[in-house]
Amino acid sequence: MKEVDTLLDLLESVVAGIDEYVEIRYHKRIETIIDARNASLRKVERRTLAGAGVRSLVDGCWGFVSTTDVSREGLASAVREAVQAAKAGAPLRDEKVNLAPASLGTGKFIYYDDQGEPDISQKIEYVLNAEKRMREASALVVGSIVHYLQYEDEKFIVTSDGAAAHIKDNKPSFHVTATVFRDGKRETATKSSGITGGWDDLIKKKALSELVDNAVDVAIKKLDADYAKGGRYTVILDPKLVGILSHEAIGHTVEADFVLSGSIVQGKLGQKVASELVTLVDAGSVDGAAGMVLVDDEGVLSEPTVIIDKGVLESYLHNRESAAIFGTTPHGNARAFTYRDEPIIRMTNTFIMPGESDLEEMISGIDEGFLLIDLAHGGQADSSAEFMFGVSEAYRIENGNLEGLVKGVTISGQAFDVLMSVDAVSSDFQIDTGAGHCGKWQPAKVDGGGPYLRCQVTVGGWHDE
Amino acid sequence: MMSRGVICVQGRELCETLVNEAVRLGADEAEVCYTRSRKLEVMFEKNDLQVPKGDHYEGIGIRVIRDSKQGFASTNILSRESLDDTLRCALAIASASPPDLNHWLPEPSKITPVSEIYDQAAEDLELREAVLRGKLLVEAARGFDSRVTVDSAAFGVETGIKFIVNSKGVQAGEDSSYIWCVGMGFARDGEDVSSFDAEYVVSCRLHDIDPQAVGRRLAERVVKSLGAASVPGFKGSVILTPYAGLDLLIEPFVFSINAENVQNGQSQWKGKLGSRVSSPLLSITDDPTLPAQAGSTAFDREGVPTKPLAILERGVLNHYLYNCYTARKDGLESNGHAVGTDQQVPGIGVTNLVVAPGEISFEDMIAGISRGLVVNRYSGSVDPVSGDFSGVVKGGQYIESGKIVRPVKEVMIAGNIYELIRRIIAVSKEVITLGNVSLPYVAIDGCSITGK
Repeated sequence: MKEVDTLLDLLESVVAGIDEYVEIRYHKRIETIIDARNASLRKVERRTLAGAGVRSLVDGCWGFVSTTDVSREGLASAVREAVQAAKAGAPLRDEKVNLAPASLGTGKFIYYDDQGEPDISQKIEYVLNAEKRMREASALVVGSIVHYLQYEDEKFIVTSDGAAAHIKDNKPSFHVTATVFRDGKRETATKSSGITGGWDDLIKKKALSELVDNAVDVAIKKLDADYAKGGRYTVILDPKLVGILSHEAIGHTVEADFVLSGSIVQGKLGQKVASELVTLVDAGSVDGAAGMVLVDDEGVLSEPTVIIDKGVLESYLHNRESAAIFGTTPHGNARAFTYRDEPIIRMTNTFIMPGESDLEEMISGIDEGFLLIDLAHGGQADSSAEFMFGVSEAYRIENGNLEGLVKGVTISGQAFDVLMSVDAVSSDFQIDTGAGHCGKWQPAKVDGGGPYLRCQVTVGGWHDE
Repeated sequence: MMSRGVICVQGRELCETLVNEAVRLGADEAEVCYTRSRKLEVMFEKNDLQVPKGDHYEGIGIRVIRDSKQGFASTNILSRESLDDTLRCALAIASASPPDLNHWLPEPSKITPVSEIYDQAAEDLELREAVLRGKLLVEAARGFDSRVTVDSAAFGVETGIKFIVNSKGVQAGEDSSYIWCVGMGFARDGEDVSSFDAEYVVSCRLHDIDPQAVGRRLAERVVKSLGAASVPGFKGSVILTPYAGLDLLIEPFVFSINAENVQNGQSQWKGKLGSRVSSPLLSITDDPTLPAQAGSTAFDREGVPTKPLAILERGVLNHYLYNCYTARKDGLESNGHAVGTDQQVPGIGVTNLVVAPGEISFEDMIAGISRGLVVNRYSGSVDPVSGDFSGVVKGGQYIESGKIVRPVKEVMIAGNIYELIRRIIAVSKEVITLGNVSLPYVAIDGCSITGK
């Protein structure tokens, strides 16, 4: 560990001589991609991307410089350039930046047990076997994709006001897509799983074979499925869709930078925005979830944020800059994807708290509606909380009974209206959207989830003729 | 500060050393891609300056082939230890991978340099100057009309050098620069808010970039879409502006000519070489030799020389885009379309696309349409496999009896792009260059327009 201590010391010593606010973040990432498709190993890539991102705040303006040169001389020069950049920008910056006080991290933050990670050859073999399993699962399979992605991260974050954190993190995920073909009809299904943890933890969460079988099964079921009749329905959203809704449609609107540019929740703190059955939280501390962050990229310690408390909008998500504007404290939501990115306001793990209802009873209370499971293809949402998501599996509910699968289902609406319409929240709870990335100028690993929610949405909508 | 000459030698020597080392450790063939770059970027949001940024990058990617098995690893830590680890890792990946006889590296062939893709003035630009140029865009847009808000604007400069060296004797090196200026915004007049729009320019030459002109064009376009009303649905002609054409025409085109997509059956144009796939009014060339154009380069990611390729000629498909792997699969030579960074296994892509202009002016094009729509920008999905698309028209203009009558909103268009390009009725003589794509206005008949 000697070398490691030296690096933290080096960053501290570079920062020590500077009068301005300076933050140095050394970030080394090893990214591994294994992609097998249609009976061949399409590609294996292993990238090491390491360097320092240096941010300085001078006269109310930021300057940011990133470099691969992390020698003492290289870092000192990057600090000088960042200070120069801030000085060059300051005269043109109208709204001066201030930083809110924050609880800063010091010491080691180890997010996972890094013992026993298999070597690359075992991982390649595992992925190739899963791809073979998909092709052999059914004669109807004409397309097979199995994809593994891993971010192995080590960071050292030092700020001139006291943060000195050493972080070790690992975020792997599996993504599988099955395409089936019969009588001129082609259907696909995608399933995925992702976590913070080691290889064994990823497989323990969900075996790759289970994801493969599930994708093939859903794709085949879709061959016989009819389209849903569009309209407004009472539906049950599964924990994955609840996670997507919480993140995409609600979460982004409460990110303080979006609030400042006029999102739908501007000026609504303290107001009722959802059913009192709904409590929505963002928490970096959820152990093993893919959005796990214990110290953010400004060196701020993570703390859960209750965004909606029993239906009332309680809080936005902040970095140090926005927290100063709103007169509050940040909870560790400033994140940067690589050392070359500056930290911006991001979610971590965003979810709705479980309730007390029983899923079976929730289903039996619906005369005509749907049980909706998992996201099919990229959804979209905007700062007015209007959303449109594709649903992977939609099962009809008639007179309280669960019926067959229908396909091509999209759901849309205004997310706060949807949360206002919630009349039952299950005691089952799961955080399970960790395979994906959130995009906001730069990607981020995030997670989300919740219980099953019974609510009103518009089904079909935009694909209807 | 090191001179460029010193960097050249260091970069090339590093590549040669690593290639030799890979062969010594058992690789049958080896390739090293080296890049070094410097980047400055300035952003404005809501008319105010954001974080001015600088970046220095240096990194390498190593590809090895052993017993027809390929391995790849990259690093931007250029210490002895990290380079050794990366090389070992590439070899380990190769030995764990199944053999595939289509993996091979190219032989050297003559590379002709492309002119004006490196501009010393870009290298010398200081951050302070970049900040001021970004500000010029914002001021020009707001000065054009006080109703304009620049939601975001960026001015950036990247200069760099790359080398590709392989064990068969390829040694290719190139300096390049890349300057971009982008503005996004909208106009507001009381309760009336225009469509959101973007305007940009990209070049390898600093003096080609006029931030004020970008700001003015952005302002002009968003102001033009104020006062938009909805129209009832109809079937008629649409004119795709170059901005809309980029999403609706170029994206599916690039997907369908990619040999990997052809080989795995996703391209609609599998087996269509020599066949008519669009209206004879459409001709598209990939041209890597255009001076100062964003995608220009003398060689591809594998060190294969690039050359102009008439991909679509009067509607007839002549070529797919190949790298070495996909070319060998089809029993051919690569046509120089390997793309990617030092951190990636070579993929496939275009250099510069040039859609040939027609003979009619944009104005006459409108005059020839009895009922239709100018699609300024398209926001929605295009499935490149099936060609089905469905999305919203942004900043649309309604045409009646050969004249633009008014701006429209809440209009959607849907259809299948592979069918629609067979029904192109006119291509304008005016051409706009957007990054690495130059394209005219394109009019298409029989499009479904859904209104309110």
